[in-house]
Amino acid sequence: MDNLGIAAASGLQSRMTSLDMLANNLANSNTVGFKSDREFYGTFASDDAQNGVDGGSGASLPVIQKQWTDFSPGTIETTGSPLDVAIAGKGFFVVSGPKGPLYTRAGHFKVMPNGELANDNGYAVRSPSGGNITIPAGKTINITKEGQVQADGAAIGQIDVVDFKSTEPLQKAGQSCFENSDPKNQTTQVTNPDLQQGKLEGSNVPVAYAAMRLVSIMRQFEMLQKAVGVSSEMDTKSITDVARVGN
Amino acid sequence: MIRALYSAASGMTAQQLNVDNIANNLANANTAGYKERRAQFQDLLYQNIVQPGAAASQQTTVPSGLQLGMGTRSSSNEIIFTQGNFSQTDNPLDIVIQGNGFFQVRRAQGDLAYTRDGSFQVDKDGNLVTSDGNVIEPQITIPSNAQSVTVAPDGTVSYMQPGQSVATKAGQIQIANFQNPAGLNSLGHNLYQPTDATGAATLGTPGGQEGLGTLLQGYTEQSNVSIVQEFINLIIAQRAYEANSKVVKAADDMYQQVNNLKQ
Repeated sequence: MDNLGIAAASGLQSRMTSLDMLANNLANSNTVGFKSDREFYGTFASDDAQNGVDGGSGASLPVIQKQWTDFSPGTIETTGSPLDVAIAGKGFFVVSGPKGPLYTRAGHFKVMPNGELANDNGYAVRSPSGGNITIPAGKTINITKEGQVQADGAAIGQIDVVDFKSTEPLQKAGQSCFENSDPKNQTTQVTNPDLQQGKLEGSNVPVAYAAMRLVSIMRQFEMLQKAVGVSSEMDTKSITDVARVGN
Repeated sequence: MIRALYSAASGMTAQQLNVDNIANNLANANTAGYKERRAQFQDLLYQNIVQPGAAASQQTTVPSGLQLGMGTRSSSNEIIFTQGNFSQTDNPLDIVIQGNGFFQVRRAQGDLAYTRDGSFQVDKDGNLVTSDGNVIEPQITIPSNAQSVTVAPDGTVSYMQPGQSVATKAGQIQIANFQNPAGLNSLGHNLYQPTDATGAATLGTPGGQEGLGTLLQGYTEQSNVSIVQEFINLIIAQRAYEANSKVVKAADDMYQQVNNLKQ
């Protein structure tokens, strides 16, 4: 195959990955605390191209190199449930996952049978000291903007809210949680996280924009498909016409 | 690309469940003591296509990887125990709990169940029962010749008998609470059953030390379903379903084009 065909096929492949990502975003358009993913196109450069040799087959190709997660805030929805907490500013809640701390913006908490405050999956919500928060039964729970948990007005714990120097090493762990893949990327305490009790942060997937992306991906796919067709036609021509011997 | 089909399908399934849940809330908008449920979703696991830190060339490494999500799933639909509105009935045996707590009743099978529906009646033996005939626990018995029944905020039930000037005490209604009421299991008929997630019921007198609510006679508690909110949720769910079905269509179209690449 010639360069045109290979480049177009690589483009088709990456549009498919784009659609995979878009499908996941749209499927999670109602998931609390979900942050949408975007692809990051890059160019694959072969060793020949890197060493300055020109014209090698498939010297540089468009590929999806990585994705980046859009950490912009989602819309804050009122639920009225006292154990729903939204972070209006920056930061993440820290929960104790099975393999270490997980970070999440989904503040949909519940009380475990042993009284511990935990997220949907039963992972305990951590306080700044690393401990858990125990909720006494039958008390009115109040959560202040600073993250202090009060039962009938008396302080019983503090919800930890942390931020990172860089959000780039954060990997999605599923269940609306993130894990920190780079131990050098240390957490910093958010002193005034502006927590909102009785509210949840919705998904930040821009649905209208996603619909537009869907059309654009499909049309690009169509164009690339045409390009593959042209390339194949040219190959046919060169085989049947150019290389024709005699009549 | 098969991923896109499955992710979109998971989104459609989740939204379908969301609509089912909204439909049940709306159907129970007039059920006394009904508490709405809200569906919650979570994203599924991610496939790591490119690991962060993998070698990009001989000298460089990839700073952040490529993760592709696999769609969504519905994680729970918890019960929202906010107070419903009170409607006045003037029936002396209609009792509401102002605040936390549940009435404890014994079902015909013999096990205990809990309810917020305080529209009580008296059965043939004079016991205070729910509209399904479940006896309140501990039992309260009111004789047939009792004239006026009074329920005090602390649950004390008393009645007057003909020819007497002093009220007779029939008993005290106890209400129960749970560590985590959102984990209760709905049995239908406005009844809830405790689970491992709720912890054991703690029984106490209304308005007592355990943060329990007080009782109010002559009212029923309406459902806490907000019809406006449910309709907004319905619109959101329907549009999200539509968006996901568009992705299925797009993935299908793209597949068709791939299949037509070879003429």
